[in-house]
Amino acid sequence: MSTREVFTDRLQAGVLLLPTMVVSMVFLYYPTVRAVGLSFYRASLARGDVFVGLENYRRLAGSSEYLRSVLISVLFAACVVVGVMAVALCISFLIHEINVGKGVYLVAVIWPYALPPAVAGLVFLFIAHPNIGIFTSYIEALGVDVNWFSNGPQAFVVVLIAAVWKQVGYNVIFMTAALGNVPESLTETAELDGVSRTQRLLRVYVPIISPTLVFLVIMNTIYGFFRTFPMVDLMTKGGPAGATNILIYDLYRTAFQFYEFGFASAKSVVLFIAVGLLMYGQFRLSDKYAYYGG
Amino acid sequence: MLGSLLTALTAAVERSQSAGRTTSERIRRFETEQLTLHVLAATVVFLIVLPVLIAALVSTKRAGIVTSIGDLVPGGHALSNYRRALIGLEFWRFMLNSFVMSVAVVVGKLIVSLLAALVIVYYRFPYKNAVFLFILFTLLLPVPVRFVPLYRLTTELGMNNTFFAITVPYLASATTVFILRQHFLSIPASLVETAKVDGVGPLRFLWSVLIPMSRAVLVGVSVIMFVYTWNQYLWPLVIINAESLQVAQVGLNLLRGQASTGEVAWSMVMTGSILTLLPPLALLVLFRRQLLETFTIQQK
Amino acid sequence: MVHSGGGYDHVSRRSVLKASGTALTVGTVGLAGCSSSSGASVRPVDEDSLTIWHAMGGTNGETLQGLVDQFQSETGIKANLVFQDSYEGVLTNTLSALDSGEVPDVFQIDSLFAQQVLDTDAVEPVENLLSDDYPVDDFLPNVTSFFTIDDTLTSMPFNNSNAILYYNRSAFEEAGLDPDSPPTTLEEVRSYSQTLVDEGVTDAGITWPNHVWFVEHFYSVDGQTLLDAENGHAGQPTTMQTDTETARSLYEWWHEMADNGLFSNPGIEAWGEATSTFLTEKAAMLMTSTASVTGIRSGAEENGFEVDNAFYPTIDGDRTGPVIGGASWFVPSGLPQDRQDDIGSFLEFMGRPESQITWHKGTGYYPIRQSAVEQLETDGWFSENPMYRTAFDQLTQAENTPATKRMLIGPARQVQTTIQDKSVELFSGEVGVDEGLSELKSAVEEQLNRYYS
Repeated sequence: MSTREVFTDRLQAGVLLLPTMVVSMVFLYYPTVRAVGLSFYRASLARGDVFVGLENYRRLAGSSEYLRSVLISVLFAACVVVGVMAVALCISFLIHEINVGKGVYLVAVIWPYALPPAVAGLVFLFIAHPNIGIFTSYIEALGVDVNWFSNGPQAFVVVLIAAVWKQVGYNVIFMTAALGNVPESLTETAELDGVSRTQRLLRVYVPIISPTLVFLVIMNTIYGFFRTFPMVDLMTKGGPAGATNILIYDLYRTAFQFYEFGFASAKSVVLFIAVGLLMYGQFRLSDKYAYYGG
Repeated sequence: MLGSLLTALTAAVERSQSAGRTTSERIRRFETEQLTLHVLAATVVFLIVLPVLIAALVSTKRAGIVTSIGDLVPGGHALSNYRRALIGLEFWRFMLNSFVMSVAVVVGKLIVSLLAALVIVYYRFPYKNAVFLFILFTLLLPVPVRFVPLYRLTTELGMNNTFFAITVPYLASATTVFILRQHFLSIPASLVETAKVDGVGPLRFLWSVLIPMSRAVLVGVSVIMFVYTWNQYLWPLVIINAESLQVAQVGLNLLRGQASTGEVAWSMVMTGSILTLLPPLALLVLFRRQLLETFTIQQK
Repeated sequence: MVHSGGGYDHVSRRSVLKASGTALTVGTVGLAGCSSSSGASVRPVDEDSLTIWHAMGGTNGETLQGLVDQFQSETGIKANLVFQDSYEGVLTNTLSALDSGEVPDVFQIDSLFAQQVLDTDAVEPVENLLSDDYPVDDFLPNVTSFFTIDDTLTSMPFNNSNAILYYNRSAFEEAGLDPDSPPTTLEEVRSYSQTLVDEGVTDAGITWPNHVWFVEHFYSVDGQTLLDAENGHAGQPTTMQTDTETARSLYEWWHEMADNGLFSNPGIEAWGEATSTFLTEKAAMLMTSTASVTGIRSGAEENGFEVDNAFYPTIDGDRTGPVIGGASWFVPSGLPQDRQDDIGSFLEFMGRPESQITWHKGTGYYPIRQSAVEQLETDGWFSENPMYRTAFDQLTQAENTPATKRMLIGPARQVQTTIQDKSVELFSGEVGVDEGLSELKSAVEEQLNRYYS
């Protein structure tokens, strides 16, 4: 590898790196540091900033509303991860087992990767609408009262379905690639041993593609935490009664509806720590599973 | 859906196991099995496409209220709806803004990241690992973690409501640098050695060797970056308040308000949704090969 | 209040903090940013044209554009309307603009957020911009009383409305209800709804957007203030009045309505959704702004039913009056004199009787000038258009008491959100009425205390 490093002009290297370093510094690192600073202030509209020490963190720790938001975010992200990956695994396996037309199926399944989350939110709001939704009358005929503008658990499920729908395609991309890399010989051995298809998927393929799965767990968690913001914003606004008030929405609301920037900054810092822990988890897990990946 | 899928799969498998002795029998069994799989796959595709299909149908209707499957026939207002959304309600402007923003970010990010990856792979200098870590560490700082202070910073710079605000902060990308680095590492080292011997400078090497050898990956990352930028919602929502600069994602909601006459103009909302979906979708379909190839690098 | 469109459903974005300082380095940054909202650093968004931020979507937006076009051709002053999606949108963007110093010349602020904007100390009382002989006393008194603070007209009232009950006459007839005697109390709304649902005419009886404005209406119609200190008009409020018969009756009724499927919940701040529910005949009654008259009339015609309206229902028969809602024009301070003159002309134009008549006819918002009302009377407008008449009568028949002035508080958005969120818990039965109301009370009071401390 070291043979690649043929250029040694440090000044040149510095100049070429400059754009990335400057943008990272100014728009990524500096705001993060600043969030930490701001979190010690009471920064509210038309009042000037007042240093309040740990007050914002104390308020966070004592807020049952915030605790609820944390729990909902974790639950939501967990459901997104499990839902997305289970569905995506079945679909990927299905495509893997098909002999002709794989490419067509693949594109027909992965396109929601390009789907704007805002569009996903609006389309789902429309088709699952409690009053005018196209499937509402059928579901109600089954005895379920579709009422997710008032009913928290229902709203959670509807947003979850929209979120899963949008994210399955992304997972299928990686899973089909990983399944495609499983050595043919393994499949043949398994077939000769009379291992059933489902068993082959769960016992043979899943362990082999586990590095991919770990990677996807992290990506899906981040997606569930952050990227679902437009759906929550357009479908439920965090409601009803906080049932879909995930952390990112709660943060947005604190900052841009209530103008409590100091308090919002404290929430940003907590989020930052959460992301850090996730990434750390990924590194640890990747190490552990690297063995299987070969 | 999941449950039925598994059951069907298992059933297909069991049928396949119920002994096949002759070759013709085996082939027949294989064929029915494949047929089952195709039916399943088609069902899956249908389910995934269905919501957008409904949206597309609604965008051809006048009022846009569909409360039963029977209402799902195309209306005759496709042309007038799209014309009204694009021209009458000026949705073209949001689309154009999104497009310009996305292209600017893609081009800018590409240049910035290519230079950084070039240095990281082909230069020897002290603290190189620290620099690489510095770039990678930004993965921990997604927009949601820092948009509050970033908002303050941008307004203090007087850059809120400008094109600058929705492009420049996106230019540094750990992901893109990482993908390019991985790709460069897969290019034989002998190439750069030869170049060096021939007295080719780094930029020239980048331009006439690396870039031509990385076409697929460059197209792939460009599509990834385009989709990422096009789908941005939160940041434009908070930093842009001039209608003339707003992007399509946020513009959708403006369209909803502007089109309604007391009630929600669902056909307009769906028309806008379909319009917003088209550009990234087109790129995905056109460049699917390069995109898939690039994704396999990202994961490494 | 309103929005005229689906417009309200978007929450606000952006904000600002007036001062800066903060951050990274506590010591060095200082308070340099503080001066931005006042003094010389204020500059217009567009030097060549007046910039007006508003929240009027749909047909109301078109009517507004018509007026602005007329203003431009009459005066030769260029003016550019910028739609901001919702009042919440205008508010956030305005606060941000006042902070950065690059300001629109005029912005349309929902009366709910008036105090929040005044608290920036960065707005110019419009009284200073109007010419000396401008007949301020020609405004309807129940309108100006809200916008006059400490004897100064702080902002220019423009689009004002109340909430009112719309009902589907055709559905009433089908259910065997008398369309000429619409319900007037909560109990009647309940029994009418029950009949409509039992007869299988509509899915639900009634719908309205979950917006604090409707809670405010129930209180004011019953003669109660929501907060102490006269809803904030006589000082800083600290207490929310939930331990009252009004509050309990309202929420017990609301819960029962929801529980029995008589109330269709369109969602929080979902103005457009509520109207859609009514126009698609999923509910036979709708409470929404009088400013929706025009849109609802044409919508009902399109959907083939006959619509009518009636006064906002009372809790138990006693009626004080509705709270005035809607928005007014605010102007930033610190703009140069010639600019202020142009802005003055704009405000005068929008407030003159002819403009108010056009505005009223095109939207349903009240004409806020007495002379405009008189003109409409002489023209026979009200007798030809009884739905506009009902809306207007509701305003003029109201007593002018502290209860009919809506709340005027700094943390309006927080309090609004809290009341709306808690309402969902209350009507869906997630918490009991007594428990929910006491939670609501303490949450709101905590916000008031924090803001005013």
